Amino acid sequence: MEEPSIGTRSMRWQTYATAFVITALIFATAFYAANYFNNLRATEVRTAQDNVFIDILSLETQFALLASHSCSDISENSVLSREIGPVGERIAYLETQASVEQDSLVRLKRYYSLLQIKDLLLMQEVSEKCGLEPIFILYFFSNKGDCEDCEEQGYVLTALSRDYPQLRVYSFDYNLENPALQTLIQINNVENDLPALVINGLPYYGLHNVEDIENILPELTALQTTESEDAATIKR
Amino acid sequence: MTEIGHIITYAALFTALFFEVFLLVSFLERRFGKTVHTPKSAKELALPRVAIVVPCFNEENTVAGTLDSLLSLSYPHGKLEILVIDDGSTDRTAEIAHKYALDSRVRIYRKKNGGKHTAMNLALAKTDAELIGCLDADSVVEASSLAMLARPFENKNVAAITPGIHVREPKTFLQHMQNVEYLLSVFNRFMFSALGSAFITPGPFSIFRTSVVRELGGWRHGHSTEDMEMALRIQAAGYLIGNAPSASVHTTTPHTLKALFRQRVRWAYGFLRNAIDYRSMFINRMYGNLGMIILPAALISIAVALFFFARIFWYGAHTVAQTYARAQIIGISFTPSFDLFYINTSAILFLIYVSILLIVVLISVGSLISTGRRLPPSSTPLFIIFYGFLVPLWLATAVVRAFFGTGVRWK
Repeated sequence: MEEPSIGTRSMRWQTYATAFVITALIFATAFYAANYFNNLRATEVRTAQDNVFIDILSLETQFALLASHSCSDISENSVLSREIGPVGERIAYLETQASVEQDSLVRLKRYYSLLQIKDLLLMQEVSEKCGLEPIFILYFFSNKGDCEDCEEQGYVLTALSRDYPQLRVYSFDYNLENPALQTLIQINNVENDLPALVINGLPYYGLHNVEDIENILPELTALQTTESEDAATIKR
Repeated sequence: MTEIGHIITYAALFTALFFEVFLLVSFLERRFGKTVHTPKSAKELALPRVAIVVPCFNEENTVAGTLDSLLSLSYPHGKLEILVIDDGSTDRTAEIAHKYALDSRVRIYRKKNGGKHTAMNLALAKTDAELIGCLDADSVVEASSLAMLARPFENKNVAAITPGIHVREPKTFLQHMQNVEYLLSVFNRFMFSALGSAFITPGPFSIFRTSVVRELGGWRHGHSTEDMEMALRIQAAGYLIGNAPSASVHTTTPHTLKALFRQRVRWAYGFLRNAIDYRSMFINRMYGNLGMIILPAALISIAVALFFFARIFWYGAHTVAQTYARAQIIGISFTPSFDLFYINTSAILFLIYVSILLIVVLISVGSLISTGRRLPPSSTPLFIIFYGFLVPLWLATAVVRAFFGTGVRWK
């Protein structure tokens, strides 16, 4: 049986101080844990990016050896490293986390942009030498809160990538300070009117839905039709 | 805007955690630190005379159970009187009560309906007992409770002692959640008294020193929360309010959301209006723990609950809008996947988990000191998950009514 509690209301400062210190320690632990896990994530992303870099380097080397290899070998392997897609998703997730160190995040984004540009250049070069017709879209967005339609445009491009696996979408943060990215923006004459898409070298501004893009890129639907016919032939 | 939201969230979490930790540290200090004063084992003859008032207004379904439990109290017959005050009932309450008048301890008075405080004041005028208490006609007491509540009055500075209140035979989902909430209140009430800071003397079976109640002018309307107003008046006069958690009272609680909502709006409204009336106590060192932490924390907790509710509601609405926009474009597809990378490990979530864990600890301590059981009730997860969404609804209503002074009704 618990004894009744009857106390006076005089304050014991030691109790207040102890409670304050314990609460502060809980807070410090929370911040430390959040930071620790975010660092783990950043490390994971960096490792994935390194893998992508190795893949690209490997492809470049393979391409340099083109003289002694057939184009078919190259074209089979020219699909961008499968790891780059998840890397983009992971970076997008880290951007939503308030406690992620901003400098570290910006470094990851710069590296990611460079990898995409390298892949783009390599793909263009391989396509030219091997007579391929790559289908790709450059997508420029902003996440500074000044682009209302960027989120929706992202969904549209996700849907297109899902429906047309051959389509390659390279997405870039327009405001990221990266000389290579700024050069890419200049070469394609992309203005700060986002979201912006560059398709077949032409810039398109504002929100474009799936139908709009299919109209701009009729090769997409043609590609799907050809694939369906191929599948039917194989079944027969 | 997001930055400000984060800062307010952290400030609110710090305040909530600090308060929980403060109560727990105070509890541990009391339990393991200084030697607890154990009152002398009181002999039956030393027990004071007590008048228990049963204010009734249309309580035909519950009044018999209440009177039966009072007549079963282990308290000397000559020192207990039960005053049934029929506050203008229009049902069979008076008829049922009169059957109990055969017992010499029971007296029945009938008056025009005027509210609970008027019933209490009538009883105050009709008794010469040293202690006076109240048992709402929807509550029952355990036999040993009154003796436990009467003994601490040996201390001449004690003006009131509150019991450990429990939900009577919880049946519905809502009542099981309230059962957990009441255990948390048992702990809070116990610690508030230990810190000399109790600011409510609940209706079910709080016992008062009659002379102090008379000195303070009897009960007042107190914005439909006369139990809070009386406690604040006792505090303002410098008397002590103790708590005996083992003195168990079981009270019938609302079993529908509508009834619960009405009851809690009344409580929250009463607190806010009384807080305005007794505002001089807030952040006033003269009132020690009561003025510096307990009352401000009670007020801040309302703001914190409303803030978190608004924030969760906002995020929920935003997520639904985003999902809808996404579904419009890429359709609805659900492919179950598990990736450790996407597990939320934010500091805010960690702090919320710690805060919830501390609440469970406080509920367990409430259970331990009142029932001797160490584990919280099995319905604790229901309380943790759902109650947080209900509370802001009546708090918001009470805040609006308190602001416009529209008032609330008992029934």
